[in-house]
Amino acid sequence: MDQTLFIVGINHRSAAVALRERLAFAEDDIVAALGRLRESSPAVAEAALISTCNRVEVVGVATDAARAAEETLKFLATDRSVAQDEFADATYSFAGRDAARHLFRVGASLDSMVVGEPQILGQLKLSYAQAAEAHSVGLILHRAFHKAFSVAKRVRKGTLIGHGSVSISTAAVALAGQIFDTLKDKTVMLMGAGKMAELTARQLNALGIESLLITSRTFDRAVALARDLGGTAVPYDNYKPYLKIVDVLIGSVSSTRPILGPDEFESVVRERRYRPMFLIDMGVPRNFDVRLNALQNVYLYDIDDLGALVQRSLGDREREAEKAEQIVELELESFLKWLAGLDLTPTIKDIRYSVERLRDDELGRARGWMAQLGPAERERVELLTRGLTNKLLHRILSGLKQRGDKTLDAAFAAEVARRLLGAEFDAQDDHDAFDDAGDDGDDDADAD
Amino acid sequence: MPALACYALSAALFMFDRSSGRTRATGYAVAILGAGAIFHALDLTARGLQAGNIPVANFPQALSFLAWLTALAGLLLIVRLRLAVIGAFVAPAVTLALGAASLTTSSGHLVLPETLRSVWLPIHVTLAILGYSMFVLAASVSIVYLAFESRLKSKRAIGPVNEGAPSLEKLDRINYHLLGWGFAMLSLAIVSGAIWADATWGHFWSWDPKESWSLVIWILYAGLLESRLTVGWRGRRAAALTIVLLGVLVGSFVGVNLIFPGKHGGSFG
Repeated sequence: MDQTLFIVGINHRSAAVALRERLAFAEDDIVAALGRLRESSPAVAEAALISTCNRVEVVGVATDAARAAEETLKFLATDRSVAQDEFADATYSFAGRDAARHLFRVGASLDSMVVGEPQILGQLKLSYAQAAEAHSVGLILHRAFHKAFSVAKRVRKGTLIGHGSVSISTAAVALAGQIFDTLKDKTVMLMGAGKMAELTARQLNALGIESLLITSRTFDRAVALARDLGGTAVPYDNYKPYLKIVDVLIGSVSSTRPILGPDEFESVVRERRYRPMFLIDMGVPRNFDVRLNALQNVYLYDIDDLGALVQRSLGDREREAEKAEQIVELELESFLKWLAGLDLTPTIKDIRYSVERLRDDELGRARGWMAQLGPAERERVELLTRGLTNKLLHRILSGLKQRGDKTLDAAFAAEVARRLLGAEFDAQDDHDAFDDAGDDGDDDADAD
Repeated sequence: MPALACYALSAALFMFDRSSGRTRATGYAVAILGAGAIFHALDLTARGLQAGNIPVANFPQALSFLAWLTALAGLLLIVRLRLAVIGAFVAPAVTLALGAASLTTSSGHLVLPETLRSVWLPIHVTLAILGYSMFVLAASVSIVYLAFESRLKSKRAIGPVNEGAPSLEKLDRINYHLLGWGFAMLSLAIVSGAIWADATWGHFWSWDPKESWSLVIWILYAGLLESRLTVGWRGRRAAALTIVLLGVLVGSFVGVNLIFPGKHGGSFG
C-alpha cells in the first residue's frame, strides 16, 4: 500500500471566472458531491473538495494517482455538465510531493489571488469538515489537511505575509485607525459620487461611526445613498458649515480645480480646535489642495498616496512570501517522511530478513550434529525449517497487510512487528509516524 | 547592581525591537523591566531602613527614587494601556537616571538633618518626584507621537511596524492625562512643601533656588495645559512643548541641586 496524495483543479491563474463558475460547487452540495465522486471513481480512496470563487480543487488519496486524476476529471465533467475538453487545458494535476506542496501553499495563502489574504484558511477548514462529514477522509488526507493548517499557522506567525493593506479603500481605513483611537465618536463626510469613495465610506460606516454626512452635486443621489447607508444628506451648496464637525472627509467630486484651499480650511481647523482631521482625496483631478497636509493635525492622502501604500504592502508581501515558501518546503519534508513511514515495503523486507537470519543462525548452530546426518535427512531438516519460517512470515505479513488496509494503525502494527522480531530499524523515523498519527496538527505550530 | 543591569538589558531589548521593526523581544523587555523595578525596590527599602525614612537624603538618592517611580509608572502604562512603544524611551531614561545616581552616590552612612525628619518629608518628596516621573513619561509618549506623526504626514504610514501601534489620538490623550497628573502632583508637592516650611521655619516661602524654579516649572506646565484647554493646542505642538518642558525640568533638577545648593539642594532632591 503506497498510497499517495493527488490534486486536480483549476484556479484563478489557470482559468477565467467564466469557466471557474461553471465548475464550482454550491456549499451545501459538497458533501453529496463527494459521495458521487467516490461512487464514480473507484481509484479515489479519500477525497475532499475545495470550491471557492478562485478555485475548484479535488484533493484526494489514491494508489494510482494518474488514474484517480483521470476519473476525477471525468467526474467533474459529468457532474458539472461541462464537456471535458472545454476545461481539460485549464486544469492542473499534481501527485505525491507536488500535490502536498500545492495543498500547503493554498492553505498558506501563497496561491491566492491576493497573496496573504486570510479567508482561504477558513475555506480549507470548511472543505476538510465537509469531507469528514462525507466520510471521505482517511488517515492520509486527515494528516495532510492538518499539516496544511499548521503550515498556514506557522506562516502567519513567522512572516508578515498578511500585513499591510492591499486595496485603496482598506489602506484608507487602516490610516484612519492610525490617526484615530476609535471611530465611534467620529463624523465622516462623503463628497461626490466616486465608487471608490463610496466603498471607503461604506467600510468606515460598517466599523461603527458617530454619523455619516453625504453631499453630492445631485442632491437626489446624496439622499438615496444616505438612506442606503443610514447617513444624512447635506446640500452641496451648503456643506461648508459642517466641515468643523467632520473628522474624516472623503472627496470625489468632479471638479477641475481643488474645491478646498488652505486659507479657508485654516479657519475650519482653528474652529475645531486642532482636533485631527483625515482628508481622503479620491477625486481626479484632486479635490483638496495639497497644502492642506501642512496644516496642524490635518492628514491628507490622495489616490496616489494610497496607491503607493498598497504597492508597498504588495511588495512586502512578495518578500514575505519567499520566507513562507521555505516554511512550506520544510513542512513538506516532514509530511513526506511521515507518509513514507506508512509504506509497509521496507518493514516487510526487514521482517523477512530477520526471520531468515534467525533460521540461518539456528542451522549454523546445528551444524555439528547435522554433519552426522545423511544428505537426504539434511535436506528434510532444511525443508522443515524453511516451511516453519515461511508459515510464520505469512501469518505476520498478511496480518500486517490487513491492518494496513485499515490504515489507521498501520505504522503502529509495523513497528510492533519489527520490535517483536528484533528487526533492524532502517533510516526511517518511525517515531514521528506514531507520535503524530492521531494529533490534530496544531501541536506542530505550538511546538516552535 | 542587579536593578541597573535589568534596566539596561530591558532598554537594549526595547531598542532592538524598535530598530528592527518587530515586537519579538518586547515581552522579555517588559518582564526584565519589571524585575529591575523589584530589585530596585529592595535596594530602596534597604536604604530607607538605614535612613529611617524614605531614601532621599541626597541628590543621587532622589534621582534613584525618580528612576524607580518612572519605571513603575512606565510599566503601568505599557501593560495597562498596551503602550510598549514607549519602552524604547522609558527604559533608557530609567537606566540613565539610575546609572548617574549609582556613579555619584557615596556609600557612607547618610543621616538626615534633624530639621528635616518629619512626616512631611515622604509626602512632599514623593509627590514632587511622582510629578517629575509623570513628566518624563509624558515626554516619552510625545517622542513616540512625533515619530508617528511625521510618518503619517510624509505618507510613509502603513508598514508592519505601525500595525497594532497606538493611534495618534490615543498618544495625544495619554500625553494630556500624564501632564494633568504630573501638574496635580507638582502643585500638591509645592503646597505640602510650603506647609512643612511654615511648620519648620515659620514661613511658607523663602525664594530658595529650588522653590523659585519649581514655581517657574509649575507656571510653564500650567501654560501648556491652558493652551490645550483654551486654544486647543494638541497633537504635534503639544508633544513638542512637552519635550521642551522636560528639558527645562531636567536642567533645573540637575542645575539647582548641583549648582545652587540651597536648603533643598545640599541635603536632598
